[in-house]
Amino acid sequence: MQDQTVISVKNLKTYFYTNQRCNKAINGISMDIKRGKTLCIVGESGCGKSVTASSIMQLLPKLSRIEEGEIIYHSEDRGDIKIHELERNGKEMRSLRGQDIAMIFQDPMTALNPVYTVGWQIVEMIRAHENVSKKEAKARALKLLKDMGIPYPEKRIDEYPHQFSGGMRQRAMIAMAMSCNPKVLIADEPTTALDVTIQAQIFELMDKLKKEYDTAIMLITHDMGVVCELADDVAVMYMGNIIESGSAREVLKSPGHPYTKALLKSIPILGKGANQDINPIKGSTPDPFNRPTGCQFAPRCDYACDKCNEAMPEENQVGGTHMVRCIRFQEVMADGK
Amino acid sequence: MLKYILKKILGMIPMLFIITFLIYFLLDLTPGDAVSHLMDPEALARLSAEQLEALRETYGLNDPFVVRYFKWLLQLVQGNFGYSVSSGVPVSQIIAESLPATLELSGTALLISTLLGSILGVAGAIKKGTIGDNVLTVFGMIGVSIPQFFFGMVCILVFALNLEWLPVGGRTDPSVVSFFGRLKYLILPASVLGISLTAGVMRYARTSMLDTMNKEYIRTARSKGIPEWRVNLIHGFRVSLTPVVVLVGFRLPTLIAGSVVIETVFQWPGVGQVFNAAVRASNYNLVMIVALLFVIMVLFASTIVDILTAILDPRVKLDS
Repeated sequence: MQDQTVISVKNLKTYFYTNQRCNKAINGISMDIKRGKTLCIVGESGCGKSVTASSIMQLLPKLSRIEEGEIIYHSEDRGDIKIHELERNGKEMRSLRGQDIAMIFQDPMTALNPVYTVGWQIVEMIRAHENVSKKEAKARALKLLKDMGIPYPEKRIDEYPHQFSGGMRQRAMIAMAMSCNPKVLIADEPTTALDVTIQAQIFELMDKLKKEYDTAIMLITHDMGVVCELADDVAVMYMGNIIESGSAREVLKSPGHPYTKALLKSIPILGKGANQDINPIKGSTPDPFNRPTGCQFAPRCDYACDKCNEAMPEENQVGGTHMVRCIRFQEVMADGK
Repeated sequence: MLKYILKKILGMIPMLFIITFLIYFLLDLTPGDAVSHLMDPEALARLSAEQLEALRETYGLNDPFVVRYFKWLLQLVQGNFGYSVSSGVPVSQIIAESLPATLELSGTALLISTLLGSILGVAGAIKKGTIGDNVLTVFGMIGVSIPQFFFGMVCILVFALNLEWLPVGGRTDPSVVSFFGRLKYLILPASVLGISLTAGVMRYARTSMLDTMNKEYIRTARSKGIPEWRVNLIHGFRVSLTPVVVLVGFRLPTLIAGSVVIETVFQWPGVGQVFNAAVRASNYNLVMIVALLFVIMVLFASTIVDILTAILDPRVKLDS
């Protein structure tokens, strides 16, 4: 049962088409989401984290499409399902959504429909996938809310989202996502809109779910601190590519890509006071329509050399599951020590 | 909710008081001697100054303005709406005769425009950018900009005169009293009024729906794996409904005031026509009562809109 892959993504390319221009939002990424493990996807805004999630859920906007590559869901009872070949809002895709792969979103303030009660929205999800009576579904919704640590669930179940606080809403979202016992939970920056104390509670809850239900979690974040706390595996994304991936231990202990290293350096450390040196990454992300020719990070990189501008570096296996796409990774890793 | 409605109704009383005063005051300012509308000009010319004065005295026209106003108001509260100055028929009787006709016409038109408008608007939003949506948008523009009387006349020309499918105007054929016999007369004016009102509702519904469909909870709904029609109707349309209801609610007063234009074009014996004739004949008693009815309807509609909004959107609280 160990390291059982639930979703494997291979060489996925998702492009956006606007005004006759093509934005290669995801440019060939591969990853495995494993049962009972948390895969953290890290990166700056606009690097393709959310598009990856939307691609897996087939929830991409109309002007974008999966150009190449594979997304395969390894179902226990139905064999391998090729998600990339399914019709976007077709019956098969819909039966996967919610039941096998559920998603929670960044902003719980806007992610719940304001005109229906929280209970109603959870019941809708349960009844969309399972043939149960309204009463049964409501009883399950109640239990879910209780399990997610919502106080007075009997009263809360009939309340509207605006009567919930931000943290409570995200708990309700998670309750909804977990209502059909999904095999995979995709969380797209689930705590960005919440304050820090609530963040910790939400992550604790997600960690508990992972252990109790053996759910695979794909957590999208830009917070390195969160990665350190929760991740089993990490994938660092930059401009639509995974530039470094591996187990959390490997990536965080000995980062092999200058970008990962820079991300780790740019976290302020609590208790060090206001005078500590925070090293932000210089420059900003390039225009996706005017990309650098070689390594996407080269213009901002301290290690950049002429060779970096020639082509995107190949994947280098550095041992174990650790992968780095940088030609000077040995120097980078040596520097850290 | 009940408390809110009661409060609202109580709040209407001072408002009505002010409005009756304004109506009475403004009509008092209009030029012309009220006596001159009471009898034919030749008889009037033969009256001596004393006789004229005596006439004014009997009708109470010489009293100070405030006294006249309160006398009128007192009568009004007692249910005596006065008499039509030109025909001597009680105003209440005139209203009772013309109001059902107007309600019939405007009610049908309101129903047509609301149903057709929201369905087409939502369909346009879901199929945004398609040929169908563009055609609807163009028709919407035309619908908003074509004057009702012109549209009405074209319809009379085509459906009544050329094709001879439907009668030219009027409300009923006195010899036929069956439901379908009367329906024949209703179809054309109600459709013209309904279709010209549809354009506004349609544009409103489309914008509102497009706005909603970009919201994040629509993505959440899709991520739940529910069918697309449920995403569109149960999640999208239900939320977009509120502004549409507000628009339709504020059109309720036209139920009473009627559409003067359409009623005139189709010789529909409704309040609109009565009002039109009354204004031209300086028939002040009638004008005041119809104006008052209209005002009451506006106040009533705003309360209805408030209540409906609170029912549709749980975030809106009435008691505060």
